[in-house]
Amino acid sequence: MIYLDNSATTRPFSSVVAAMTETLTDDFYNPSALYAPAMRAGAILTKARRALLDSAGCSGRAVFTSGGTEADNLAILGTLRALRGRKGHFITTQVEHPAVLETMAEVERLGHRVTYIGVDGEGVVDVEALLEAVTSDTALVSVMQVNNEVGAHMPIGEIGRRLKEKNPRALFHVDGVQGYLRAPLHMERDHVDLYTLSGHKIHGPKGVGALLLGKNARPLCTVFGGGQEENLRSGTENVPGIAGLLAAVETFRALENPAARAEALRGRLLAAVRQGVPDAALNGPETGTHILNLTFPVKGEVLLHALEGEGVLCATGSACASHKKSKSHVLTAMGRTPQQIDGALRFSLSPLNTEEEMDEAASAIARCVAALRAFRRR
Amino acid sequence: MKKNVLLVRMGEIFLKGDNRNFFIKALVRNLRKSLEGTPCTLELTQGRIFLRDIEDMDEVVRRVTRVFGVHSVSPVVECDKDMDVIAREAVALMQGCTGTFKCVARRADKRFPLDSMQINEEIGYRVLCARPDLKVDVHKPRHDLSIEIRERAYLYVEKIPAVGGMPVGTGGKAMLLLSGGIDSPVAGYMIAKRGVQLHCVHYHSFPFTSEQAKQKVIDLARLLSAYAGPIRLHIVPFTEIQQELYQKCPDSQLTVLMRRYMMRIAERVARRARCQALITGESIGQVASQTMDGLTCTNAVCTLPVFRPLIGFDKTEIMDYAERIGTYETSILPYEDCCTIFTPRHPQTKPRVEQLEESEKLLDGETLIQRALQGIEVLDIRP
Repeated sequence: MIYLDNSATTRPFSSVVAAMTETLTDDFYNPSALYAPAMRAGAILTKARRALLDSAGCSGRAVFTSGGTEADNLAILGTLRALRGRKGHFITTQVEHPAVLETMAEVERLGHRVTYIGVDGEGVVDVEALLEAVTSDTALVSVMQVNNEVGAHMPIGEIGRRLKEKNPRALFHVDGVQGYLRAPLHMERDHVDLYTLSGHKIHGPKGVGALLLGKNARPLCTVFGGGQEENLRSGTENVPGIAGLLAAVETFRALENPAARAEALRGRLLAAVRQGVPDAALNGPETGTHILNLTFPVKGEVLLHALEGEGVLCATGSACASHKKSKSHVLTAMGRTPQQIDGALRFSLSPLNTEEEMDEAASAIARCVAALRAFRRR
Repeated sequence: MKKNVLLVRMGEIFLKGDNRNFFIKALVRNLRKSLEGTPCTLELTQGRIFLRDIEDMDEVVRRVTRVFGVHSVSPVVECDKDMDVIAREAVALMQGCTGTFKCVARRADKRFPLDSMQINEEIGYRVLCARPDLKVDVHKPRHDLSIEIRERAYLYVEKIPAVGGMPVGTGGKAMLLLSGGIDSPVAGYMIAKRGVQLHCVHYHSFPFTSEQAKQKVIDLARLLSAYAGPIRLHIVPFTEIQQELYQKCPDSQLTVLMRRYMMRIAERVARRARCQALITGESIGQVASQTMDGLTCTNAVCTLPVFRPLIGFDKTEIMDYAERIGTYETSILPYEDCCTIFTPRHPQTKPRVEQLEESEKLLDGETLIQRALQGIEVLDIRP
C-alpha cells in the first residue's frame, strides 16, 4: 500500500504510539487533581506547551484544543467575542479550509463584515488586494499557511509585516494545519498573533491540536466549564493526546530536512507523472510544497478507485469536502473549469514516503489513466 | 399487572384451506428465527400464537411486527379464570383509556359458567363502576376490551398492526436485481411480503463504482433481511461488459443493452440458485430504459417471469414506501455518480429488439457473461 493522502491524515510515529500508551497506562491522572501523581500528568502539558511555542517562535501561550477546527473556531469567534458587541471587519481568503470559511459565514450571520480575498492561478493569495481591504475597523485577518488542496504557500511574513504597518491593532491568524513544521514560521518575526496547528497531520494522534497565542491576542473562550487552559478551553485536558502531540513534534523536528525531503519526493512524482501522462495539468505551484494536485484527462473519482485497486491511496480535493457534492472551492477560485475540477486528484506526501513509492505510484497512474482514458462520458 | 405475554395474529393464513398448517409452520419457523437472541417462549394453540416469558416487550413487538404473515399483535394480561380477578385486571388494563369502549368476550372453554354475553355484561358493568368517566358504545367504540377464556383468561386492549403478508418461504424463491437506488429494495420488500424468499444480484463496476457503493448495497440487503429473513447476495463484476458495450455499441443504446446483459446474468444466477422468477424495481416511464418499448427489449432476453411490483407507482409513492420500510436514507447516499460515464446523454426511448440484437453481434456476449459469472462474489446477509 502506497499512502499518498498525508494531508487527510498521517500514520502516527511509533514514538507517538509509545508515548500515548505510556500515558494511558501510567499517567492517567487528571492534571487538576491535588495529589502528587497528578503532577506528572501536569508536567506533560507544560513540556508540550514549551515544545509547541518553541517550534513556532512564540513567546506567548499555547491552548490545547480538540484539533485544528476547534483552534480555528477559537481564533475567529474568540476574537469576535473580545470585540464585546462592537461591529468588526474580518478578512480571509477564498481558499481557506471549511473550518475557517464556515466560521466566517457565522461571523457574517452575526452581523459583521467579512472580505474574502481571491488567489492567483497557483492558489497564492493576492497580497495587494488583501492589504487594500484592511481598514481601521479590521479586527482579524485569517490566512492559511499552506493550502490543503493544492499546496500553495501563502506569503505569511510579508502579509504580517505589511498588515501591522497599515493597522497595528488588527490581529493576524494563520491556519497552520497543513504548514506546521513543513513551512518556515516564526510568529514574532512574522507578526502572527494566533496560530492553529493539528496533531494528526504531523504523524501525531487525531483529536488534539492547539492555538498558539502571541502577546497581543486576547480571545475570549467559546467553550465554558471548569476553566482549564487559562479559561480559554474548558474540559479535562486530553493528556494522552497531548503526550502524543509532543512526541510527534519532537520526532518530526528530529527528521533530517523533512520539508525539503517531501518537496523533493513531490518533484520526483510530478516529473514521473508528466512523463507517463503528458496531458496531466498541474494545479498549484511548480515546486516548494508537499502537496501535488493534478488534473487528469479522466474522471478523478474513477481514477482514484482504479489507483486504490493498484494499492495507491490518494484523494479528490480534500477529505473534508469529499462527502459533499459540490465542486472544489479552491480550484474554482483558481479559475479552473468544472471539467478540470472533475479530473483533479491530490497526492500529499510525507517525509516518510520513499522514492521507490513515487516511481511505483507514477507508473500505476500512467497505467490507470491509459486504461481509463477511453471511457469518458460522450 | 405485568404484560409479558404477546398474542400474535396471523392474517390471510386463515383463509387457507387444507394446507393452512403448511403456512402456520412456516410462520412459526420465521418467528422463532426473528426472535433469536431475545428471550421468550412460543406456544401454538388452537390456531393462535402466544409468546410468553418475554423479557423485553418493546424489542419483541418490534421484531414480530416485521415478520411477514403477522397481521397484528397484542400485549396480553394472563390471569386466573375468576370473574373477580378478571374484573380487577380489566380495570387496570383500561387505565389510560378514555372515551368509549366495549367488551368482546370469547369463551373457548365452554366449561366456564358464564357465556360470552354474560361475561361482556358483567365485566362492562364492573369497569363502569370503577371508571364512571368511560362510556359503553357497542357499535363504534374507541377501545375493544377483549377477554378470552381458554385454559386461563387473557385480556387485552391494545392492537398493534404488523406488516401482514404471507410467511417467507411459502411462496417460493425469486432473484431481486438490487441496484442501490430507491426502487429495488421496495420491489424486493413487496414480493418478499407475499411469502417469497429473496436472493439478490448486484452489478459492481469497480473502479467506476466504489467500494462504498458496494457496501451500500450490502447495507440495503441487510435492511431488507430484517423483514425477508436471510438473503443471499450475488455480486457480479460488470466492468468488462460495460467497457465492451461502451466501445463497440451505439451510444443511445447503451443503457438498454446494459439492462439486457443484467437480465441475462440475473436469469443464469437465478436458475443456479433455483429461483423461479426475477424481481426489478422498474416503473413505466420513470427513465428512458423503462418505457414500454424499453421494458419489452429487456424482457425479451428472459424466460423466467419478471415481477415488477412498482410498475404503476409514481416516484414519490415509491419514496414514501422506502421511508416507511426504512431503506430510503441508505438508498440516497451519493456513491453512484461515476456510473454516469456509461449513461448516454440521449438514450433511445423506443428501442427495437432487432436493432439491439444487431448491436450485440458486435461483441462476444457469451464469453463476457461466462467471465462475469465466474467472478461472482457471494455474501449471506442476515439482519
